[in-house]
Amino acid sequence: MTVFLCENGFDGILSGVYDVYASRLGIDNCRLELADGYEPELFCDVREVPREREKAKKVAETVRRRMSEEACLRLYRASLHKSPARADAILRFIALGLGCGSRILRMLQEKAVYEIFRMDRAVANEAHSLVEFARFERLRSGLYYGMIGPENDVIELVAGHFADRFPDTDWLLCDEVRRKAALHSHGGALVIHAGIEKERIEALRAEKAGDPYTDLWKTFFRTIAIEERRNPKCQQNMLPLRYRKYITEFQ
Amino acid sequence: MIIQENLDLKRKLEILTDAAKYDVACTSSGVSRGGKRGYVGNTEAAGICHSFSADGRCISLLKILYTNQCIYDCKYCVNRVSNDVVRTAFTPEEVCTLTMEFYRRNYIEGLFLSSGILYSADHTMEQIYRAIRDLRTVHRFRGYIHVKAIPGTDPALIEKIGYLADRMSVNLELPTAESLKRLCPGKSREKILLPMRGIQCGIAANRNELAVYRNAPRFVPAGQSTQMIVGATPENDFQMIRTAEALYRNFDLKRVFYSAYIPTVPDKELPAPAGGPPLLREHRLYQADWLLRFYGFEADELLSAERPNFNVLLDPKCDWAVRHLERFPVEAMTAEYDTLLRVPGLGVRSARRIVAARRHGKLDFADLKRFGVVLKRAAYFLTCGGRTYFPFRFEENFITDCLIGDERRNAWEISHGTAFRQLSLFDDMKLEAEPDRTDAKKALFGEL
Repeated sequence: MTVFLCENGFDGILSGVYDVYASRLGIDNCRLELADGYEPELFCDVREVPREREKAKKVAETVRRRMSEEACLRLYRASLHKSPARADAILRFIALGLGCGSRILRMLQEKAVYEIFRMDRAVANEAHSLVEFARFERLRSGLYYGMIGPENDVIELVAGHFADRFPDTDWLLCDEVRRKAALHSHGGALVIHAGIEKERIEALRAEKAGDPYTDLWKTFFRTIAIEERRNPKCQQNMLPLRYRKYITEFQ
Repeated sequence: MIIQENLDLKRKLEILTDAAKYDVACTSSGVSRGGKRGYVGNTEAAGICHSFSADGRCISLLKILYTNQCIYDCKYCVNRVSNDVVRTAFTPEEVCTLTMEFYRRNYIEGLFLSSGILYSADHTMEQIYRAIRDLRTVHRFRGYIHVKAIPGTDPALIEKIGYLADRMSVNLELPTAESLKRLCPGKSREKILLPMRGIQCGIAANRNELAVYRNAPRFVPAGQSTQMIVGATPENDFQMIRTAEALYRNFDLKRVFYSAYIPTVPDKELPAPAGGPPLLREHRLYQADWLLRFYGFEADELLSAERPNFNVLLDPKCDWAVRHLERFPVEAMTAEYDTLLRVPGLGVRSARRIVAARRHGKLDFADLKRFGVVLKRAAYFLTCGGRTYFPFRFEENFITDCLIGDERRNAWEISHGTAFRQLSLFDDMKLEAEPDRTDAKKALFGEL
């Protein structure tokens, strides 16, 4: 068994897929793992794969041509999933898809397809939840500032939604867990910054006190509930506790 | 009646939210509109909920009344003229500010503006028109707007509002004309149906216009909805869903909402339900409503004059299935899509997945489970590769007993207010709408 260790991110994983094929060892004799957090095993030949944009682009092109645009998009979303097995799942999906073409997306009974379907769904669901539950506060500087703490690496998907929604606003959306931030300027540019220091996040958080509309919103939120229908269990089903840490009305 | 105008914004918001909370509709679905430079906002076809209040209902829109002053004396309503509450009204500017500031902080998806009636229907709707006109033109808002049309308004005014709003609704309130006459002295069935018909005709005419001129302004693009109160009058479930079905067929409604009656102002004409609002009945009506809209059922199949109310212990689909065992079991590998949809435990998505996947190979029950089929219900009505999930006696009483065992706990929890599931069309409704080609490209190369 040969284990290929690839870098994190969609490009990193696709570069790994490229090298697995380029090695001509046969898919069944190879495994693709993320270098990050890989535990060395016995009786394995380990090869490291650097991220290369060109290789990733070729693989993505092939997926799009041989399977479909949609397949490529699903792989992209699956690559954002938190599971350490995501790289290998993407490899298996591509291996199967090269054989059967665009109908692969419908073959849910195949394990390789189902795994990607499951990861894609989890990522898309979480991204959608954060589109719903992300909250911004206006800082004194006029910047709208929001913080999220997702399980999967969904900030790109979430930021895309807000870039469309608020094209002329300066806003910053920060992923506290991965210390990534999406910064949107009123000119329309959206940039994702990685590796932000903890202190800067703390400093921003300290600055955000004193937005008058948070109080009005809490009033609305409290008043809109009908006492006779009180149902905390349903509320918790729809709005899980883990999101509430970042939601204005639950502070 | 004195209208308090010198209250501060927070107090006004509190009063006018409190007065609006019994309105059920709070959806932001039905229209997809991308963002644009120079404007604020977009809308998504699937709708977005932003929060869930302590009663478990979704908060999607800023649901407020323009004013809680009212000339009518509808017996069930908190804002009836004879009820002694503090009355106030927003100004158009206040409505705009609240909407924009809440929207920018991602608290809401848009505005739901309803109102009591100040002086006359026309006067009130004129105020509402001014508020949403400013919101669209001055504040350049592209988010969702839902406006309640007040019966008796000038049709020309409704038309003007229809070009600014995404959804409009006229509340039917009660399913029969007699009940309406008894509880709402100022309203009549004809008066309510008139604006509903007007909006329907407007939408139909606009559809034709859009077919020719793609960029023509859109009239009520997310369609219209209505709501009925459950349990305030003696109508049975059969009458309720017959009315709902007629509204879907004849008035092209997008949604009919049901609202369990909550006694707010005691009146001799109104019941005082002992065990709280009829939540289970409301839940069954919503389940049946889904069957009408998405599963190809008809009201006459679910209930009849002899059996006018839903089974408390079984959901309407299971109830229908055990009474029609001659149609079951259905073979998952070969049955048509429409037939699969009628199997309890299968939904639109799981049925679609089965139809797509079975073309490429055999399925087994483990696959079905992964596709989202609820086997504890479907097992009694489905075969896969010629076999049932487990051996059982294929007989009405036996199956009913097995199904009730599961459902009894749910029913108890809903009627006692400890659990209430919000209905959803799909088991994984939170999936985003499919992005288009350019989005896909951007996503792939990290340009998002």
